[in-house]
Amino acid sequence: MSAPPVLAANSVSMVFGGLTALSNVSLRLQEGQILGLIGPNGAGKTTFFNCLTGLYSPTTGNVQLRGKVLPTDPAAVTVAGVARTFQNIRLFPSMTSLENVLVGRHARMKQGPLASLFHGPAYQRGERDARDRALELLEFVGLGKAHDELARNLPYGDQRRLEIARALATDPKVLLLDEPTAGMNPQETEATRQLIFAIRETGVAVVVIEHDTKFIFSLCDHVSVLVQGQLLVEGTPEVVRADPRVIEAYLGKPPDEVEAEVRQYAEEVAHGGPEATQVIQPVRDQDGHEGGKR
Amino acid sequence: MKEWIEYPDGWIWLGQVLLAIAVVIGVVYVLRLGWRAASAFLATRPALDRPLGLTGGVIAVVGALLPWVTFRLNDGPYPDKATLQFFDAPFALSGFRLHTLVLGVLAIVVLFLPLPRRRVLRALGLGAIGIALVNILFPVIDGGGLGAITSDGENFAFGGIATLVAGLLLLFAAKTGGVLEPVPHWKSAVPRLVAYAVLVISFVVLLLVVAMMLNAGGQGGVGNPYAGPIFLSLLAFLAGVLGALQAIGLTTWISALSDQHKWFSVVVLLLVALGLPFTEAGTDYWMTTAANIGVYAATAIGLNIVVGLAGLLDLGYVAFLGIGAFVAANFSGAAAAAFDIELPFVVAAIIAAVVAGIFGAVVGSPTLRVRGDYLAIVTLAFGEIFKKAAQNNIGDLTGGANAIPNVPPINWFGQSFDKPLTIGSVELPSGVLYYVLIIVLVALVMVVFANLKNSRIGRAWIAIREDEDAARAMGIKTGQAKILAFLIGATLAGLAGAVFAHKTSTVAYDSFQFIESVTLLAAVILGGMGSIPGAVLGAALLLVLPEKLREFSDYRLMLFGLALVLIMRFRPQGLVPDRHRRAELADEGADGVPIEELNVHDTPGDEKAVTR
Repeated sequence: MSAPPVLAANSVSMVFGGLTALSNVSLRLQEGQILGLIGPNGAGKTTFFNCLTGLYSPTTGNVQLRGKVLPTDPAAVTVAGVARTFQNIRLFPSMTSLENVLVGRHARMKQGPLASLFHGPAYQRGERDARDRALELLEFVGLGKAHDELARNLPYGDQRRLEIARALATDPKVLLLDEPTAGMNPQETEATRQLIFAIRETGVAVVVIEHDTKFIFSLCDHVSVLVQGQLLVEGTPEVVRADPRVIEAYLGKPPDEVEAEVRQYAEEVAHGGPEATQVIQPVRDQDGHEGGKR
Repeated sequence: MKEWIEYPDGWIWLGQVLLAIAVVIGVVYVLRLGWRAASAFLATRPALDRPLGLTGGVIAVVGALLPWVTFRLNDGPYPDKATLQFFDAPFALSGFRLHTLVLGVLAIVVLFLPLPRRRVLRALGLGAIGIALVNILFPVIDGGGLGAITSDGENFAFGGIATLVAGLLLLFAAKTGGVLEPVPHWKSAVPRLVAYAVLVISFVVLLLVVAMMLNAGGQGGVGNPYAGPIFLSLLAFLAGVLGALQAIGLTTWISALSDQHKWFSVVVLLLVALGLPFTEAGTDYWMTTAANIGVYAATAIGLNIVVGLAGLLDLGYVAFLGIGAFVAANFSGAAAAAFDIELPFVVAAIIAAVVAGIFGAVVGSPTLRVRGDYLAIVTLAFGEIFKKAAQNNIGDLTGGANAIPNVPPINWFGQSFDKPLTIGSVELPSGVLYYVLIIVLVALVMVVFANLKNSRIGRAWIAIREDEDAARAMGIKTGQAKILAFLIGATLAGLAGAVFAHKTSTVAYDSFQFIESVTLLAAVILGGMGSIPGAVLGAALLLVLPEKLREFSDYRLMLFGLALVLIMRFRPQGLVPDRHRRAELADEGADGVPIEELNVHDTPGDEKAVTR
């Protein structure tokens, strides 16, 4: 990979009090790439997103956009060209779809307070351009008809798409999607997959957090696996999918295998074999780390 | 007025209060049970609507023609022609009895028209109940005993009770079938001229209604000793009629038209407001009151930017009005002013606005790191600091307890603003020029608010109100935006303060106390947050209602508080809600029905099509 990455996280660590949420996570996103970030609940995916978007300032390490270190202020990061959506939808519920997207245009509009007060011709032009762009984006994500609908009244899937349109309105170079298909049915998930491909076509690089591994493997060019705050594996979907550590981290070991190991361990202890200590450490997903969402 | 509770000290009084509360709770509980049972019964009998409605309407008409009170009250005949006998002069009805008649006739007529009759009947029924309650309770409490409204041996008077029954029957009629019809949606694409005509007519009617309200029962208790109940009863009538108009979709249609032709509406509304001095309300008294309302309305709209748009709770806002007033007073050439110069009003007003704006930004900056409750406390503290500073005459700028008296009236082209104005042969009352000035000021502030609200800045404010973190993620510099909200809000208040200084002629620290901040906030919330007509209406109600309720002297503030509680309970989105807030708070219908029980029609753009 000789081309300079559009987004690079360099050894990002994040410590909350005594809890290390991320340790030395590095990531390189190339132009035009779709990168998947997977990992069990509580692995630190959203914490990592928050570090990328300036919501948290990393304890060590930094994030660079096209070689420039990003500030740790969400507004400034957005202005620099990194946009995001949220895991639990955070639209402006009592604004219309169009107004939501127009808020996304905020950083790309120039009108100051005085222009806003007097609504001169230049102001009108800027406002019209912003509206046109916003409507175009709504059309792009398939919400063209719903522009006058209040965000709170939109169906769930449309709310997720509106959030993407709002993020795209900031003219990002990199788009970060935090679980864009959570709670969607298969049709909606497929539509979202096509939408993300279409976003890539417009020259925006995308990072996606998802639980749905099938979705990630069929979408991404590159996948990184985060487990307990550490980057476990990264590579093409084929490589990651085949890696036994990923299967283990994500799914735990198959029950019979665990059973076999327990038996083996017991036997080894019985025979006085001291090296048995390293064997049983399956990282549990469902039963082990529930409620660990950050 | 007779006192129905004497005020002995201590326990007896407390006991009476507790007893009264217990009785009220008990009665409400029993009424609730009855109402539920009746609703359940009627829900399965949709065909009963016409019979019930017709009976209710007829009884209302009869009630209007029956005598209402058996005798003359101490202070004079109450109400107007109260003992008028059945049919002895059916066309001599006036006042609330005429209103009752109108409600009754409307109820009968609507049964035979293709309109959402249950909704209309509900509104009319509530109006009739309101009229009946006001005019039953007042003679009973003031004249003593139930004899006043039933029979005292010789005379009988069942008008009030008949009307109450009629109102209940109309409500029952509205409950039949269990479902209210959807509000019809009127086509808003009409020829421009038709729209203009409709708007002009609506605004002129609005003007006449306002004038009628202001004059109901005379002015400020001077004209008629019963001004209070007469006013309340008129309010009930108007609420009933307005509710009916809303039920048939007329008000929604008119407001859609006025949204379409925004500029035309603004101009007409301005002209109509300027027409008020030429109506029967064009007196010294009402010009002064209307000007006071104007000052508060302008300030409330400024506060609406801070609270309604940006969602920053400000409990010390009146301080900015005070700063504007003191600055203007000091540059007015008053004897007690700190500076010995007399600047022209316009210059002084601009300085006042700028100074207040600077203070707004200064107060705004430390508040950036505090949210919600904490912000409210910081602003509250600022308001108190201002009051104390003014009280102690810091820097000799405020006159302390002596205030700054004798601020000269504004004087343009030799016409002093506190003198009557004569145009040709028409003599307009004194105070009319202040009224005009303030109308223009309010119009200006409205334009500022409307333009900001529909701009990049306004959207940023609303985004911050809705979700501050998401707003930051959209590239909004929330700190700057918040300071800007404080700055602009304070500037507008400062401007209003400059007018206030000249109009009242005395600027004293105690005009700017915490209670004033609360009143302003109440005006904003009552009218509907983020809505301009709401802020004006809220300010008007908060100033007019206490004037009109003077009649009830001791109970005035209690009634006033009760009214606020009721409005907030049954209409949390405010009287004239902004579109956004309506969506947010309409989760509970007007009857307090939780959203799960409502069946919302899925028609885009018609948030009102809610049925049960």
